Amino acid sequence: MHELAPRIAAYATGRLPQAAELEVADVERIHGGASRETYRLKLRYRDGATRVERRLILRRDPPGSLIETDRAIEFAAYRAFHSTPVPVPEALWLENDPSHLDYPFFVMEELAGFEASPQTILMPPYSGHHEKLAQQKWSILGAIASADPEKLGLVGPMAPVAPTEAWRRELDHWTRVIDEDQLEPQPIMRAAIRWLRRNPPPAPARLHVVHGDYPTGNFLYDKEGNVRGILDWEMAHLGDPLEDLAWSLNRVWCWARDGRVGGLTSKENAIRIWESASGLRADPEALRWWELFSSLKGQAIWISSGREYQAGKNQDPVLALSGWWLMNAQDRAALETLGKLG
Amino acid sequence: MKPDVPKALEIVAGRLLFDVAPHVAPSYRQSSVGVTAMLLGIVREEWDRAAARRVQENAALRALFRDALPVVTDTDLRGKLAAAADSADASLLVSELDASNDALRALLIELHAHVETLQSAAARALEDAIWRELVASTERRKLSLAPF
Repeated sequence: MHELAPRIAAYATGRLPQAAELEVADVERIHGGASRETYRLKLRYRDGATRVERRLILRRDPPGSLIETDRAIEFAAYRAFHSTPVPVPEALWLENDPSHLDYPFFVMEELAGFEASPQTILMPPYSGHHEKLAQQKWSILGAIASADPEKLGLVGPMAPVAPTEAWRRELDHWTRVIDEDQLEPQPIMRAAIRWLRRNPPPAPARLHVVHGDYPTGNFLYDKEGNVRGILDWEMAHLGDPLEDLAWSLNRVWCWARDGRVGGLTSKENAIRIWESASGLRADPEALRWWELFSSLKGQAIWISSGREYQAGKNQDPVLALSGWWLMNAQDRAALETLGKLG
Repeated sequence: MKPDVPKALEIVAGRLLFDVAPHVAPSYRQSSVGVTAMLLGIVREEWDRAAARRVQENAALRALFRDALPVVTDTDLRGKLAAAADSADASLLVSELDASNDALRALLIELHAHVETLQSAAARALEDAIWRELVASTERRKLSLAPF
């Protein structure tokens, strides 16, 4: 039995006072994003005469993480988009008291039986559905962009910002991450930061929900080419929807290594799908600003992962791999956006 | 070292991936073994070129700083560039080459920011040279399995 099982059961008993014969089984740690420890488990209990079994996901803050984020925001995003055209698992419990499982955590339903891997999607039978997956992937991103954060109750859990200042808040934040975490000088990123400050993008007409981390790899898909769940909302915030579009187009997510964005389709097609679904226009110059910004943000994350690993705070080898595998590719992506790669 | 380090790392990575990982549970640990094999593959690629690319880059940066001297208008910066241009790597130890490289690239950032503020044709030519060096720096570090 996993050492967390009895502790999760004790916690769930408090959350479900009507439940009898409650037990937690099959607790297994899985890869589920880089910012939290993710566990799959089964919760069984009797509710009156009814036997209940629920497959759940528990996301727990780790001692060190790739991205320092607010679990309450991630939880609020799952809650807000549940039962909307944006498919997400049902969020159940948010717990900030570390006494239960040593660190804060939240629990949500598991959307079981689907794939998330950005490598598996390149292989049969999924490879036969890339255009269908692309259509759904960027349509859903368009649906997130067209959502009203006020109506979803996300203004508050997510800090508002003046639309004219959305770019600056993000740029300041990720520049600060690089300032604090860099292990070596970053001449390309420093040049990018100067360019971004000299050439600010036009402001969006209003604030939008920004998922914050929407590559292939952060959604669930099935063998028929359907997107079944949007995951990893830990960096969600209010801002410019072009930020999400640009992040989804980031060169480092070209998993098939053939130029197709997200390993699925052409950049032009992805933009066309997003524009059609969102009702918004991706102004090329504004999108270029956000594409360069997405290289900065990516580099900040890879830099932080390297620092966490080197400091020994988190020895998950994926943190070392992020730094080694992606930092140079991210620099090249920035050079390409700036028109310097040739 | 014999057997050759790249060959040994290739074999160890392959055994981790194909002999060890399939028998590891739970899936999180199995995945971590696979990631560890990828790390060894990257070390294998880096091993042979590690010193060479650092020596090459440090020399390129010193040459760039020497060429920048007539263009730079900031006296303090010109002094730092002249000193860096005349410096040399203490040894061929990768750790010492890295220390030199860090210092040189920090100075490159300072130079680049300064040149961007200058208006002359010589400044634009120098800026182009800096960008060429930055592009070259990513080519030196490029990994064969990188997504881009």
